[in-house]
Amino acid sequence: MTDLEILRDYIRNETGYEGNLDPDLDLLEKQVLDSFSIVQWAMFIQQRFRIELEAEDLVRDNLSSLSKVIALIDSKGSASVGQGEKPN
Amino acid sequence: MPSSIPRFLCEIAERLPDKVAIVCRTRSATFLQLHQEALATAECLREIGVEPGDRVGICMEKTIDQVSVILGVLFANAVVVPILPRLKESNIRHIVENSGMVALVTDSDRMNEVVGFADITKLIIGHGELDRDWPNLPYMRRFIRPKMFFDRISADNAAIIYSSGSTGRPKGILISHRNLADGTDIVAEYLGTNQEDRICSVLSFNFDYGLNQIWQTIRKGATLYLHNLALPNDLFALLATEKITALPVMPVIITKMFDKRLKLATGSYDFSSLRYVCSTGGRLSDEMLHDFKTTFPSAKIYSMFGLTEAFRSTYLDPSKIDSHPTSIGKAIPDCQVFVFDEQGEECPPNVVGELVHRGATVTKGYWRDPENTAKVFRSHPRFPGETLVFSGDKVRRDEEGYLYFVARGDEMIKTKGFRVSPTEVEAEIVRHPEIVDAVAFAVPNIAVGEDVACAYTTVTRQALPEHILKQYLKANLPNHMVPAYLIHLESFPITGNAGKLDRKAIKQVAFERLGTQQRAVESGSVQV
Repeated sequence: MTDLEILRDYIRNETGYEGNLDPDLDLLEKQVLDSFSIVQWAMFIQQRFRIELEAEDLVRDNLSSLSKVIALIDSKGSASVGQGEKPN
Repeated sequence: MPSSIPRFLCEIAERLPDKVAIVCRTRSATFLQLHQEALATAECLREIGVEPGDRVGICMEKTIDQVSVILGVLFANAVVVPILPRLKESNIRHIVENSGMVALVTDSDRMNEVVGFADITKLIIGHGELDRDWPNLPYMRRFIRPKMFFDRISADNAAIIYSSGSTGRPKGILISHRNLADGTDIVAEYLGTNQEDRICSVLSFNFDYGLNQIWQTIRKGATLYLHNLALPNDLFALLATEKITALPVMPVIITKMFDKRLKLATGSYDFSSLRYVCSTGGRLSDEMLHDFKTTFPSAKIYSMFGLTEAFRSTYLDPSKIDSHPTSIGKAIPDCQVFVFDEQGEECPPNVVGELVHRGATVTKGYWRDPENTAKVFRSHPRFPGETLVFSGDKVRRDEEGYLYFVARGDEMIKTKGFRVSPTEVEAEIVRHPEIVDAVAFAVPNIAVGEDVACAYTTVTRQALPEHILKQYLKANLPNHMVPAYLIHLESFPITGNAGKLDRKAIKQVAFERLGTQQRAVESGSVQV
């Protein structure tokens, strides 16, 4: 599975959202995610992709769409190799 | 001109026309602009056919346009009926039908949530794109020359706020212009709201508490910063960069703000501008107080208490937060709070009784519900001709006069800032073809107030797979009503010979089951 598919699967399973999940769709604006589920979303991303998100990463602008999350994962990619499954 | 929110806006637009009233991300509006937008909105609504006294639903995301619509409805002397976005169709239908609303203003984005009501109410777009099928207020406003409206008196109805009752459907609490104006001045007095204030609005404008931040801003010429809380670090950045002075929150928001599962940016900012944080809607835990004090050392902490029927009843003087951390304080200015026993006599210190509220913020009663109004809005021999609110909540008063919340009088579940009626949850669950009976109840969880739990029995006497049942409930209930815990029982105990469900015994069994379940799974099922 590609990163995009992994992220899409998560959103579909966790939220039951059946609409179009365009990579640029604003998940908060379209109410796919809310202030409760976005925290789970952030934790899932950390665990699944074995990256550690710092305070400055954990902002709306980095997590509000699939494409932004992929960019975030890519930016963290090389630095995060070998980190544990539960970085927090 | 009588005391009212529209009057406050007229005054401030004249006194501080060019001051920024409201900021929402990249957009902002001055008091003059807000005033013009509100007047133009009122004129558009009249044009569409809204008459004084008509109910107008507002189901919108928090934007400057939402504020303009709220104010516009008030200027048109119509009645604001907030509708929480993302309610399910049946919940919205109840509010639309019960209030008898003539129009419903929504965003173009969420038109599909309400389009089913087009046959019973006029649909209007208050924010977003033009659609030839529906009137669009931001577009219409451009072609309207605003004029003043003077046909309002302060006894007129200003808003109906729907709140879940312990039985049946949500009840609409009817609020006058005078109630809103008095509530504004009372809160401004004890919070010391002033022209230098930069108030952060994280709360929804669908409740009296959140709306009060708009009123405070208009009354005192402060500036309001709208923020839709998603991740706490965005809020911390806003607080620091905009030098926010006032932060009204609720326990559920505090929990989100200081979510320990995430790395927080609290250490990297200067929050010394923050004058106070205030909270209502549930107790502040030791941890919440600790988080406040360490993160915002300069801020006073106001712990407050109230119910929509009387808006606000008490607040604790911030200087007493360390000596009386669990107290809900004393009566707000211009109101009295009594602790009455069942005979209507005042309870001596430390004896638990019912909280009874007297004064300016007593609302007009429940909309079209004389029966329930008569139960809660009552007179007392000591105050002939006056209506007091008998809250049903159990409280006690200590020797110094500080009040303490003891228990609610009803079975309502208070979760994530919402009042959830067990009957409403049960009614939805038993619609599942395999479920026979259901009993919903509260499980204490200080992070969110309470979690919703629900015990159920099935036709087959077998448990349903939890994720399937949850999926079903998520599709049919608003998120905050979906139980965090689902407990299958083979059968329900019945009371004596009446054949009624023994709710107390069911709860007890469910709690025991829940205890073992939790230990066994040790899962992340406690949602925060």
